[in-house]
Amino acid sequence: MLKTSLGTLLLDNPILSASGTFGSGWEGRMFSDLAQVGALVSKTVTVHPRPGNPPPRIWETASGMLNSIGLENKGADYFLAESLPKMQQLANGGRGPRIIINIGGESIDEFVQLAERFSAAGVDALEVNLSCPNVQEGRLLFSTEPRLTEQALRAVKRVATVPVFAKLSPNVTDITEIARAAEQGGADGITAINTLIGMAIDWRKQRPILGRGIGGLSGPAIKPVALRMVYECARTVKIPILGVGGVRSATDVLDFVCAGASAVQIGTAQFTDPALMVRLKDELRTLLTEARMTIAELRGSAHRPAAIPTAKPTAACAVATPEVKG
Amino acid sequence: MLSAPMQTRVHALRRLRELGGGSFAVEVDGPIPATLPGQFYMLRTEKRWPVLLPRPFSLYDRAADGSWGSFLVKGVGEGTRAILDLAPGEGLVLNGPLGQPFPRDIDNPICVAGGVGLAPFLLLAREYKAQGRNLRLLFGGRNRAALSGLEDVEPVARVFASTDDGSHGFHGMVTALLDDLIARGEVKAGEVVFCCGPDPMMHAVAALCEKRGLRCFLSLETYMACGYGVCNGCTVKVQGPRFKGWPYSRTCMEGPVYEACELVH
Ligand SMILES: Cc1cc2nc3c(=O)[nH]c(=O)nc-3n(C[C@H](O)[C@H](O)[C@H](O)COP(=O)(O)OP(=O)(O)OC[C@H]3O[C@@H](n4cnc5c(N)ncnc54)[C@H](O)[C@@H]3O)c2cc1C
Ligand SMILES: Cc1cc2nc3c(=O)[nH]c(=O)nc-3n(C[C@H](O)[C@H](O)[C@H](O)COP(=O)(O)O)c2cc1C
Ligand code: FES
Repeated sequence: MLKTSLGTLLLDNPILSASGTFGSGWEGRMFSDLAQVGALVSKTVTVHPRPGNPPPRIWETASGMLNSIGLENKGADYFLAESLPKMQQLANGGRGPRIIINIGGESIDEFVQLAERFSAAGVDALEVNLSCPNVQEGRLLFSTEPRLTEQALRAVKRVATVPVFAKLSPNVTDITEIARAAEQGGADGITAINTLIGMAIDWRKQRPILGRGIGGLSGPAIKPVALRMVYECARTVKIPILGVGGVRSATDVLDFVCAGASAVQIGTAQFTDPALMVRLKDELRTLLTEARMTIAELRGSAHRPAAIPTAKPTAACAVATPEVKG
Repeated sequence: MLSAPMQTRVHALRRLRELGGGSFAVEVDGPIPATLPGQFYMLRTEKRWPVLLPRPFSLYDRAADGSWGSFLVKGVGEGTRAILDLAPGEGLVLNGPLGQPFPRDIDNPICVAGGVGLAPFLLLAREYKAQGRNLRLLFGGRNRAALSGLEDVEPVARVFASTDDGSHGFHGMVTALLDDLIARGEVKAGEVVFCCGPDPMMHAVAALCEKRGLRCFLSLETYMACGYGVCNGCTVKVQGPRFKGWPYSRTCMEGPVYEACELVH
């Protein structure tokens, strides 16, 4: 009932962690049985260590939060030596969650290096964080240029031996152009969306609140935007979509599935409830049992024309209702 | 199964005990796990939580058998007010204990608390009392009302109170009180200070300790999102061997207690 597939990657259920919101899963193992989660996505790993942005790095906003972590991580060598073995321990030889490594490069070459190293390390899939500046192109973000997106995916796909997902940024005029570019580059799937750029100001200090000034908005506030973007991408590309943005209930998960997502990632909501992923999986089962549906049947169903009216109009009502044109 | 039995649990509110100055001891039913002084919990109300993220609070008190526990909460915003609006029997969701406690190997620290910074020191004082010793505790506030919890610590510690307006105890800031105790030989160079309170007070205490040759540990109150080490949102700038050259530290994991010399401003 909950089984889903992301290209060749088969998952027991469609619940994944979102990059950067669950570490490498090791801290979270304290709170629930992660063997029940479809897959864990690591936080972004870069070739070189990155100290990240100056604090304060987080600020709560109405139904959401801003973050400017700045991809703090100790680099690929450290990750391979220290974090990946822990993730593999959680994966428990295939009995636990699948392991997806999110990679961030500042050049095509860095993306290629990371893809090679993590493919060789035996992870289940890669997620390419396109919200990274390309130093060879004046620090233009990969995620904002169809050409750079396609180049990055093509280069990664050439060396990767596992499925590759492209993680898209919502901070673009038309996300479908980027989705199409990722598909053309050979991506096996699309993750949408990353955070929306925002800011907070303290008028008393007359200063931005975050150390870096701006940050990424996440949480329930962005769900309608994420849902719309998943819906648009689903119309544009044939590859599977991982929906992410503001999910905190099983209903949210199914909304994304109806919009066209094959799986859903949980981010900010895990800060409020560290055992949320497993709880959502259980709630999904209950909701789908009641509705007598499967994830596969629901996927993309919001795109289908409403074949069966939900209720038959009564004769009087049918007469009174004016014909709708157009 | 690799998961350990750490749980976010719903605990029923027993009662709110008013401590003055807008602060309350929020007492909840157990089981409250064994918790070391300085460790904290992430809290949110089970129903009608008006904000998104849970909020961090030190454990204030705990029954020896863990059958109840309490938090010292001051209403400063939406989250704290929602906690203080709970009725007995309603649920509070707890995640903890989290973070590192005050160092365990200091023989006889001098504790310096400002306002709700008193919270971690009641458990510490009880620990000392159980060994037949009296912890020295300097407790400062704007006025008498701001010394919320004074009656709770007085029976278990040697308390030196100070108020900015002189309405109780030493007239002046808690730093002036500490300096006075140093001048009178009550506190000597080489001794160790544990401090928790508002940022300006902690800065002042750390600066004074440096000047007078005392070691100083601070319990920081930073913004937190997850409280369990996964978001990297709560970091402070640090130095020192403990961090192996990495410039940032997560206050929810390696903190909230840091030695003052570890913090970089
Ligand atoms: C490890 C730790 C232990 C703490 N222990 C206690 C305690 O025992 N008792 C207690 O009353 N408070 C404690 N705090 C502070 C408490 O977490 C904040 O007061 C609380 O998060 C405010 O939430 P709010 O929604 O009511 O306020 P908000 O509406 O979020 O903010 C209201 C005001 O409080 C300030 N504030 C918000 N969050 C924090 C924070 N994390 N630290 C400091 N100031 C903040 C804001 O700048 C603002 O001025 C502790 C904080 C930390 C990090
Ligand atoms: C604190 C924080 C850190 C994040 N770090 C990363 C990251 O390292 N790489 C990445 O691709 N996305 C990162 N994200 C974005 C999330 O993976 C997700 O796309 C976004 O938060 C929207 O989902 P949500 O509303 O469920 O949180 C981060 C988000 C947050 C809140
Ligand atoms: S609050 Fe999330 S890492 Fe500390």
